[in-house]
Amino acid sequence: MSAEPAKNDVSFQEHEEKQEWWWIAEKRRSKRLDYLRKAVWKKGALGGNYAPGIKVDLDGPKLFTDMWRFWKFDPVMMRRAKSLAHVLDNIPIFITDHSQIMGYWGSAPHTISWRVDGASMVNEELYNEPGVMPEPEEESLRKVAEINDYWAGQTAVDKLARILDPEDAVKFLSGAIGWGAPTSAYGYSGKNYEYFLKGERGFEDIIADIEKNIEEAEEKCVGTPGPDILPIYDRIQNWDAMITVLEAAIRFAKRYARLARTLAENFETDEKRREELLRVAETCERVPAKAPRNLQESFQLDHFVQILSRFEASEGAWPARPDYYHGPFYEKDVLVDKTLTEEEATDLVGEFMIRVYEVGGFGPRWAREGMQGITGTWVWTIGGVKPDGSDACNALTTAFLRTSRLIRVSNPTFAFRWHPKVKDEVMRECFECIRHGLGYPSFRNDPILVANCMNWHGHPIEEARTWVHQACMSPCPTTKHGVQPFRMASATANCSKMVEYALHNGYDHVVGMQMGPLTGDARTFTDFEQLFEAWTRQMQWLLSLLVRTVNLGRYKDPEFYGRPFLSGITERAVESGLDAVSPVGERGNCWITAFTWVENVDSLAAVKKLVFDDKKYTMEQLINALESNWDGCEQMRLDFVNKAPKWGNDDDYVDDIMLRCLRTMAIHSRVMRCTSNNTWPAAPQNVSGNIHYSSVVGALPNGRRLGDALYDGGISPGPGLDKKGPTAVLKSCGKIDHVSDGRAFLLNQRLSPTQMAGEKGYQLWRAYMRTWADLGLDHIQFNMVSDKTLRAAQRDPEKYQEVIVRVAGYSAHFVDISRKTQDNIIQRTVHGL
Amino acid sequence: MKCTECSYEAPVPSFRYLYNVRIDASLTLRQCPQCQVRLVVDELAGEATQRLDDGDAPWGKSAGIEGLAEDAI
Amino acid sequence: MSTCSECKSFFSREDEQGKGDCVLRVVDPRQAYYKTRPVNPDGDASGCESFQKK
Repeated sequence: MSAEPAKNDVSFQEHEEKQEWWWIAEKRRSKRLDYLRKAVWKKGALGGNYAPGIKVDLDGPKLFTDMWRFWKFDPVMMRRAKSLAHVLDNIPIFITDHSQIMGYWGSAPHTISWRVDGASMVNEELYNEPGVMPEPEEESLRKVAEINDYWAGQTAVDKLARILDPEDAVKFLSGAIGWGAPTSAYGYSGKNYEYFLKGERGFEDIIADIEKNIEEAEEKCVGTPGPDILPIYDRIQNWDAMITVLEAAIRFAKRYARLARTLAENFETDEKRREELLRVAETCERVPAKAPRNLQESFQLDHFVQILSRFEASEGAWPARPDYYHGPFYEKDVLVDKTLTEEEATDLVGEFMIRVYEVGGFGPRWAREGMQGITGTWVWTIGGVKPDGSDACNALTTAFLRTSRLIRVSNPTFAFRWHPKVKDEVMRECFECIRHGLGYPSFRNDPILVANCMNWHGHPIEEARTWVHQACMSPCPTTKHGVQPFRMASATANCSKMVEYALHNGYDHVVGMQMGPLTGDARTFTDFEQLFEAWTRQMQWLLSLLVRTVNLGRYKDPEFYGRPFLSGITERAVESGLDAVSPVGERGNCWITAFTWVENVDSLAAVKKLVFDDKKYTMEQLINALESNWDGCEQMRLDFVNKAPKWGNDDDYVDDIMLRCLRTMAIHSRVMRCTSNNTWPAAPQNVSGNIHYSSVVGALPNGRRLGDALYDGGISPGPGLDKKGPTAVLKSCGKIDHVSDGRAFLLNQRLSPTQMAGEKGYQLWRAYMRTWADLGLDHIQFNMVSDKTLRAAQRDPEKYQEVIVRVAGYSAHFVDISRKTQDNIIQRTVHGL
Repeated sequence: MKCTECSYEAPVPSFRYLYNVRIDASLTLRQCPQCQVRLVVDELAGEATQRLDDGDAPWGKSAGIEGLAEDAI
Repeated sequence: MSTCSECKSFFSREDEQGKGDCVLRVVDPRQAYYKTRPVNPDGDASGCESFQKK
């Protein structure tokens, strides 16, 4: 199915002039990709609510719960393995017309999956969520109630909540200081791609290795008695669980093979489609059982692994490096053997992304509001270097970039590992994606981040160079000892609370309780050092509470949850017989996601300047104004905005405060230890938490009121407050040491699409990117959609369904985010280069 | 303050605060408790200046655009 | 009583005796697809809305 020739070139030109890239994409992509792209049921919540027609899948939860109840005497990992196998053997599966890559996390294309054993509070929320129950609604509600009754009190979070310190638990559950759930049921699982995705092994090979391990272990169990034998009994059970689920995974794939063959032999009349279905059958018979031999099999293996992982746990991220691992097959099939034409390969590449775009699970409201328009932060890593330091870009890197402009999905997005050896032709492809308004790829400074991986977690350089984004921003190697089996989103800090609590003696006026330590009545502070000391103590308290919770969740996860499938694809677990989540043998790769960070810096600078240096206002006046949410103090509020230095203007007054805050936090990052006894660095970024927390963070000295959106995140300056131009922004950000001051630092920039047009635009951008690299920033991403288009999309959303914007660590369709988020994006400064 | 749509009159804080229009401007968005319309409010003057419809941008041009060509907006 | 194995949508499994799949065509508002689920050949199909005698 090749692309239809353009009806006339003039219309392309007109669309290009109007920057209506979505129409160009629609005309240029093949009929197959057009069908598959439009066939997707969008699962991302629109400003927090699911779209009409989206229904929760009840088949999977029912099958899982039935079997979980049945195998009640098994240890947790085996119990999960058997229950998961029952789901994989029995859940309805489907093949969409024209599709060539199989696998979906649910029983029908319009369904969202539901993790029943993660958290009772999520289950209750599902019961009360309007519009998502399949018809007949009453019967569905009865089924959900039955499932909820069974799981109440015995989900992973319920079990953890019983052993958490009660005060920590209440403060965490207040929703004020952080979010997420400390369990791998909703984690961000890193994948040991170096083990299973290099085209060297299939699941049958892994099963053979495990069987050998079991044989050796069983021999030891009948040998000389001693303490070294005792752990082996549990390990044998774990290995059995891994085999159970890997075998079920092979059967699951073979169900697709059987369906494809049945359709080819009994239903399909079109000869070409018959051949495709037979190829699908052959592919699903081959993988994941055996190692892939070609691009389609390699993609299919990867996709099965991702879907199977989600049947096991609701993974909120999608760490991947598709060009690196599938590239050799692309080059072999397209360039060497020529078994695939470029057009055929484009169809596969496009569908590989579309299959991901359609995946979605039910999420609680805070998650939907925090990640508006998407169902998870699925940031795929491309580019970068090989373990020997040479350029890893290949023909598939550019194929992904080109194809992304044809299908224009908002999830997955790409993050490009830039390094000095990247060829100009690849940079041009990246730039074209940004110019087409996709908001991706974001750019990551590879040499800086490799050094960062080595600095914080001690990864050897060859392993550090395999890094992928474990979620939006934080790098993680894909190696045996470097991969982090899951990272829990609950180490996500609402950092604005640090300065808020420092000003209110640890009391939270929004949730109405004493949260942080008593650091003194700020009305009595007589110099900036007293305020900074209070801020430091609040910061240490807040981060420590979140990390304590996460560490405990991680430590208890093999007992409270259990990951037989993830273990079966993780070399360390296959070798040891321990749950992949066990920290044994892992180097550690933790980080704290630092939401709403820059407000600390601008607020501290404003107090220092207007209260302690200029003495224009007193602390008494300031605290009173904040407690009244600036009501009746508008001129004073404007002074705190306009007469105090703001981050992002290359002004040392405030930039020094940024460095001091980051470095004080970095000291604490080394004091706190993870379950592998490694560090907890912070990564300032936001997703759309700046909107979610807008009604949670009280008035601040940077001039915001309760209700106002927080800054858009990371180290991005406040919207409209970076008044000195793009180079000043880069210079401010360049003062940060992106290796040792934290784990990663998100920077949003907005550029003018008109200025970026043509060769001149590209050269301007390239010069700007050279400055970015020279200053040693680790990240940057761009929005390049005009105000005019965004306002038109607000007025007439039906006509602008395909406009994509960069929100924070992810992209979303503009019409799927709330008005407040939309306005926040429009308010961002447009920089002329 | 008086609502520009239904003429409901009450002190400014009685109008539900939504969010700022731009942090460095004195304009905010509030909601009229009587007719529920979203209003643009000048907080310094204590006046509602207009209702806010979809696509309206009461902050005028986004920051930075001033320095760019007119067709870049 | 009608059984699944008497239905046009039933396909027995060559490699697994006594097991079969129900294969149905579905057209929803966005896409068309074929859907399958495992069924017992002797399963009661008398209440099945999709039943079509072979």
